[in-house]
Amino acid sequence: MGKKLQIKNFVALIGLGLSFLLISASAYAQDRIVKGTVTEASNGLPLPGVTVTVKQTKVAAVTDANGVYSIKADQNSILVFSFVGFATQEVAAGNNTTLNVSMGADHKTLNEVVVIGYGTAKRTDLTGSVSSISAATIAKVPVISVDQSLQGRAAGVQVTNNDAQPGGSVSVLIRGTGSLAPYGNGPLYVIDGYPVSTGINNVNPNDIASIDVLKDASATAIYGIRAANGVVIVTTKKGKKDGVQVTLDAYDAFQSKPKEYKVLNAQQFATLALAQQASDPAKQFTVLPNWNNPSSLTEADWQNAVYRSGLTQSYNLGIRGGNQQLQSATSLGYYDQKGIVEGSFFQRISLSQNLDYQPKKWLKSSTSVKYDYQNSNNPFGTGSLGQLAQLPPTLDGGSNVTNQISDGKGNYGFYNPVYTYVAKYTNPLFTINSNRYKNINQYLLANSSLEATIVDGLKIKTNAGVNVSGFNGYFFQPEDDRLVNQYGSLAGSTQNALYTQHINSTFEWLWENTISYDKTFGKHAISFVGGVSEQENTWSGMGGSGVPPNNTVMDLSQDTGVKLDPNIPGTNTGNGENIYSLASQFARLTYKFDDKYLITGTVRRDGSSKFDEGHKYGVFPSGAVAWKVKQESFLKNADWLSDFKLRGSYGEVGNQGSIPLYQYQELYSYGSAPVTSGNLGYPFGGVYQGGIASIQPSNPYLKWETDYQTDIGTDFSFLHGDLTFTVDWFNRKSKDFLLNVAVPAQTGYLTETKNVGTMNNKGWEFAANYNHAFNDFHFGVGLTVSAIQNKLTSLLSGTTFITNPQGSPTGAVNLNGNGWPIYSETNIGQPLGEFYGYKSMGIIQTQAQINALNANAAAKSGGAVQYYYMGATGPGNRYFADINGDGHVDASDETSLGSPQPKFFGGLNLDGSYKAWDFNLYFYGVYGNKILNYEESNLETYQNRGFVGIENISQEYYQNAWTPQNHSNTYAKIYYNDNSYGDSVPSSAWIENGSFLKLKSVTVGYTLPTDLAKKLTLTKVRVYVSSQNLFTITSYKGLDPEIGAQGGYATQNGVDNGTYPSSRYFTIGLNVTF
Amino acid sequence: MKINKIKFTIIAVFCAAMVIPLSCKKNFLTQTNTFNSTAQATFTKSQDVVALVNSIYDSYQNADLLKKSIWYYANFLSHDWYNDGADVAWNSYTINSNFAALSVFWNNAYIAIGRANAAFGIIATAKANGVVTPALADRLTGEAYFLRGMSYYYLAGTFGGVPLEIQEIPGNNGLTPRSTQDQVFAQVVADMKQAETLLVSKSALPAADLGRATKGAAYGYEGAAQMWLKNYTAALAAFNNTELTSNYHLLQDFEEVNEFDHQNNDESLFEIQFDLVAGASASWDGGWQNGGEEAWIDDFSWPHEISGFGYDYGNPGLWYSYAPGDRRKTLTIIGPGDTIQSKGIIAKWGGIKGYAVVQAGFAAGSQTYTGDDGKIINSCGSLKHPWYGDDLTRSGYYCAKKWRDPNLTGANGTSAIFGTQNQVLLRYAEIILDRAECKVRTGDIPGAMADLKIVRDRAWGLGLKGGSASPVDGAGNPIVQDGLTYDGKPTQPITDPLQMVLSEYRHELTGDFSLFYNLRRAGPGVAAAFIHTNYNTDNSLLPEPYPYGPTADGQLHGVWFTSLPAGHDILPIPQAAIGLNPNLKQNPGY
Repeated sequence: MGKKLQIKNFVALIGLGLSFLLISASAYAQDRIVKGTVTEASNGLPLPGVTVTVKQTKVAAVTDANGVYSIKADQNSILVFSFVGFATQEVAAGNNTTLNVSMGADHKTLNEVVVIGYGTAKRTDLTGSVSSISAATIAKVPVISVDQSLQGRAAGVQVTNNDAQPGGSVSVLIRGTGSLAPYGNGPLYVIDGYPVSTGINNVNPNDIASIDVLKDASATAIYGIRAANGVVIVTTKKGKKDGVQVTLDAYDAFQSKPKEYKVLNAQQFATLALAQQASDPAKQFTVLPNWNNPSSLTEADWQNAVYRSGLTQSYNLGIRGGNQQLQSATSLGYYDQKGIVEGSFFQRISLSQNLDYQPKKWLKSSTSVKYDYQNSNNPFGTGSLGQLAQLPPTLDGGSNVTNQISDGKGNYGFYNPVYTYVAKYTNPLFTINSNRYKNINQYLLANSSLEATIVDGLKIKTNAGVNVSGFNGYFFQPEDDRLVNQYGSLAGSTQNALYTQHINSTFEWLWENTISYDKTFGKHAISFVGGVSEQENTWSGMGGSGVPPNNTVMDLSQDTGVKLDPNIPGTNTGNGENIYSLASQFARLTYKFDDKYLITGTVRRDGSSKFDEGHKYGVFPSGAVAWKVKQESFLKNADWLSDFKLRGSYGEVGNQGSIPLYQYQELYSYGSAPVTSGNLGYPFGGVYQGGIASIQPSNPYLKWETDYQTDIGTDFSFLHGDLTFTVDWFNRKSKDFLLNVAVPAQTGYLTETKNVGTMNNKGWEFAANYNHAFNDFHFGVGLTVSAIQNKLTSLLSGTTFITNPQGSPTGAVNLNGNGWPIYSETNIGQPLGEFYGYKSMGIIQTQAQINALNANAAAKSGGAVQYYYMGATGPGNRYFADINGDGHVDASDETSLGSPQPKFFGGLNLDGSYKAWDFNLYFYGVYGNKILNYEESNLETYQNRGFVGIENISQEYYQNAWTPQNHSNTYAKIYYNDNSYGDSVPSSAWIENGSFLKLKSVTVGYTLPTDLAKKLTLTKVRVYVSSQNLFTITSYKGLDPEIGAQGGYATQNGVDNGTYPSSRYFTIGLNVTF
Repeated sequence: MKINKIKFTIIAVFCAAMVIPLSCKKNFLTQTNTFNSTAQATFTKSQDVVALVNSIYDSYQNADLLKKSIWYYANFLSHDWYNDGADVAWNSYTINSNFAALSVFWNNAYIAIGRANAAFGIIATAKANGVVTPALADRLTGEAYFLRGMSYYYLAGTFGGVPLEIQEIPGNNGLTPRSTQDQVFAQVVADMKQAETLLVSKSALPAADLGRATKGAAYGYEGAAQMWLKNYTAALAAFNNTELTSNYHLLQDFEEVNEFDHQNNDESLFEIQFDLVAGASASWDGGWQNGGEEAWIDDFSWPHEISGFGYDYGNPGLWYSYAPGDRRKTLTIIGPGDTIQSKGIIAKWGGIKGYAVVQAGFAAGSQTYTGDDGKIINSCGSLKHPWYGDDLTRSGYYCAKKWRDPNLTGANGTSAIFGTQNQVLLRYAEIILDRAECKVRTGDIPGAMADLKIVRDRAWGLGLKGGSASPVDGAGNPIVQDGLTYDGKPTQPITDPLQMVLSEYRHELTGDFSLFYNLRRAGPGVAAAFIHTNYNTDNSLLPEPYPYGPTADGQLHGVWFTSLPAGHDILPIPQAAIGLNPNLKQNPGY
């Protein structure tokens, strides 16, 4: 035994667990020694850590670092070679004393172990719907956050990069949208047994060993009130029981400048302005004097100035190993991305330590510690980038210092403050370069468990952890007196410097105790786990702002006008502390008969501080059955069918994740500071006095959202497991989703948070995998396709529809400034977040056409309405549909314009290897969704909008706009004040097909021959080149059709308001094993 | 054996640990909100109870409520003023029930009412617990009654009968149907009578409480509500109460009434207070929304040529209607060639010529900013080039009562958009004119004429340099006669006493927050006939060219001659409110 412990090999966790049991048992006497080398079929390299056993005995050995094994076996023995990820081989020993074996990758996943929450199960014994993604898959595409690697890999899981900014957010929807609460649809992440409510942005993807996505209610119910949106279980890499492995993974990625909108240059822009001036009947639109000579103008190419090429560097160093008692995995990661927009970057340093210690056969402990430091900034991102195409393309006539965007000497051009058709001050590059920022996030997740085996199969375990995170950051805007310097005080006042600093921290603890029992009695097998859990989360934060004395000092105590800032990142609550807690009991029992029939029952009772007395506790039950049809006698010998299983489940799970605290209480507020509109006070005698008012009525009946989910699924495979299929149908009914709804003002309140409605998501998920080796050529195909239908099924009486968030709640995509308060409206029976506006039927071509329409409007209204649309509407204006047939187009004619939700989405993975070469191609696509191309509406209007000034327009619009000579039926006429025509209101003109197919990644790798690697004293060296986003097939006219849910609101999906675009990456990388 | 002992110990400790979370303190799931608090936890200090009442006033610091609802109703419906922009439906009396500001008005008024209803109980508890003195409790209770009554006054005046919510009901679902208009005004009377006994007198109001409701204000609204109920004798009693007659006076110079440096003056009974709080911005990032201490009310009325807005403008006919010698004319409405009269504006800017946009425009050679004499313009447009706005859709005439705040520049210059000028809802001149109407109604014509003369003498500047007494006939009665008709024709004196009062309401109160309320109050059909008389209105729904004066160029400049249709003298109940409370029945004709 002692000798065996000294073996310094890599041994996979599962294989080793098995061998450990075997090794520790008494062995049959075997006289003869069989030796040999085990190599990897794909590249001929020795394969360490392979378990070799003599079949039907407990004799076992493990290959060493050179793939060499030695085992006692007689001539009749059959040697079994097994290693995780490779096909198990059985070889008769015969007369050979040397037996070399080449092992091929095993793509049969049936025996893989799946983590299912408070335990594990073999995939073949699953009764619920679980998708798994391995470290190897994650490693194929360089990603910055773990959730990105789920995209297209797990059926039923829709992952969308909300935009492409460094460290940008990702929306993950498992089986659709069940809640309307902001950020109310994200799954629960469980990292090494610790459920975290805040996503997994803080885990280094390089540390992941596997991800298991629990999808149906049966699988998730063990997480009760947090399970409705699915559970993503993340397991990080652990040390192997034998030997030590040192790995280095490094890559550099060059990112090209993004695609740019083709807009007018300075000459074209000024020429257009002069033409508009000439044709302006009111003589109100006047060009800047400089514009009278277009050819003299200095070009201001905003897109070129603010976009750049990016560079990403990533390094990960891992040391993983151990012995039979102690295993350790240490990793260090560094990631640094310079984004393709000036000023944007993301930096991360991660440290991870996993330690497993088994001092006694019946006692083991496990500790996982993860630290993550992130420094990032995106001073000009989604929502602002549209300005780059919209800003007038010349600065002539503004600053008397420079007409360039930047003259390279620290001077930045600006627009003429007197001229009303440009927006004074606006120069994005000046903003980016003159402001200073810091945004540091730090995360620490530490979790330890101790497990004791009381008797065979009966285990008790205690697990405790802390999850600590903190943010600190500042924003500094220097004083700006350019305008006053040039034009004097009449033109405006000096913009004061501003310094804002925020700090917040979260401390959370968890303590869970479980008892489990696994036992087989003849044909009966049971597996039970039960436990209790407590978790408490304390957030506290503070922020302040003031006017600094100069452009260096940032000490708030030296600033003037210092005030606390309620808008602290991470919450909107204010300066102070918030606590919530959860206390739970749970149990799961699985019974298996004859390895054919399985039944699982799960229940969790959660108590939550978010609800009032009497409503704190929820019970979430679920059940599932599975029938392993292949095990039946009539199929057992069917060679053509490798596996066949049918599954069915039903359960109820809850959602409380995004429900704000204290929604049940009547609350009195002192209001916000007197300078803000939310104050409740009033001035008397010229002095402001504070106010107090009730801001929220009590609602003691408030409860969690509940999902009722049915799942029917099947897993089957052919060709000895080379070809596998998983198909699931699910029906998810989400009830009592919470919404802050309007109530009659007569109550004294405008809104109240209530459980208001039901939503339904049903759909199909399909996953197929094919893997085969043809001699040296290994080839694999993976395909996932998901089709989800979402619809709102009921709403509380008095509420008939739901719009996109209005006003300016945090995270809302607010297009109100341009008269677009509502762009999405969801009605009962319709999918969530459908776009809403006028239906465009082309362009009005003749005066006779509009005359007839106006006459009809007058006739139908009895003279009350004289116009079809607007008084000024004429040839060249947009022709909107009169949906209600009253002869007149107004707000009542706005209608649904299509859904941002795809009809189906999926991923296609192709990989393979030939000798030392390997390749991977990964496609992701969505089909059948619509995008609101808000940016296009800006590029098709010469309106003086928002804070941009007269907007630049696209070349395509300029060339094709309606004129008396060019009767376009697509592009309206150009007019400097579109408000009087209303051509660019929310309408179907801006709704586009959002379907796309993206080649997300293509990689070619080469592994150095073993000899050469050895000369370098390395075990394995692989170099690769890859490219991301090489091409996208789409009819979408904007920069990037991959647009997710900004701000976490389910009702504002698919809005392209100037999204941080993605561009191509070219990566060169290195994987080294020492 | 030794191993077993260790194993036993560890397992025993485990088992003990297992149960700890189960037996944890029971209140583990009860967390305390530290950002907001319950009523019980909140009102433990006197100042917090005061703050509770302050929040009722706060409901009125809202431009949608004050300007786009009450001011629009008081002025657009009289046709003296028009809207330009998104709200042009007011010009042809085709306002629909989705007009967003009406919802804000409705909502804020009921929030004020809800806050008042909640305050009664909280103040009573605080009084019983010794948190507030009995005297303070009375004053605060009085303020809550006053503000509730005032809310119902404007609701019923604008919409007719509205639902009465007069107590705090836990779990109130807000589904009460509408009461009749008379029931609502009866509630106003009841609330104001309570307020009269509880509030402090203006004479005893500390300077620090300036802006709070007083007994006099309560008598003023009670009298007005009594007039709606046709209880003219009771109204007279209220108007003649010494709280009004002793404590409030007409300012000598009508110019001062609306001046920025004369806020909370001796004539003002109640005004909504605004204030520039330290650190607040008057520019684009200032107070667009509810509750801010500053608002966009005033400069949105200025000519587009100055402010970049020009969202309301005057009817040239109002300008012509002022009699010669009536100093109120260009202090109320100015047009082409008129210089601005406000002393505050002149002191700050030297008149219109001082605004940055005028100077820059003139420098650029723009005819818009060039006067008839070829010099930089100092009038509200020139006779050659009236200020019709950027799209030529305004009349060229603008409200001089709202052009008083010297700090504002509109969207130009320093972009000082948000102002702090208080909005005067009720002033003593209106009380005197109300009293005149009551006297007409009760047969005291001489008394009525005497009251009219008080107001008119001030208008003619009696006692001021260059001023005189208002014209009277041989019997000493006022000669009430418009200057010219809307189309420039000579006029006849008005002899009917009620019509004389209505004409005086118009010339004194137009551009304030009262005119159309008073016209409608005079009885069914009175307002429509009055407007028809002034403007010869017809059935047209579209603007027509103006027939007379420097703006009669045959083009459309946003002047409507639409008659007030039957039933449209009250506004529609907001559709959003009906949507949430199906028990609300819409007004006929909407």
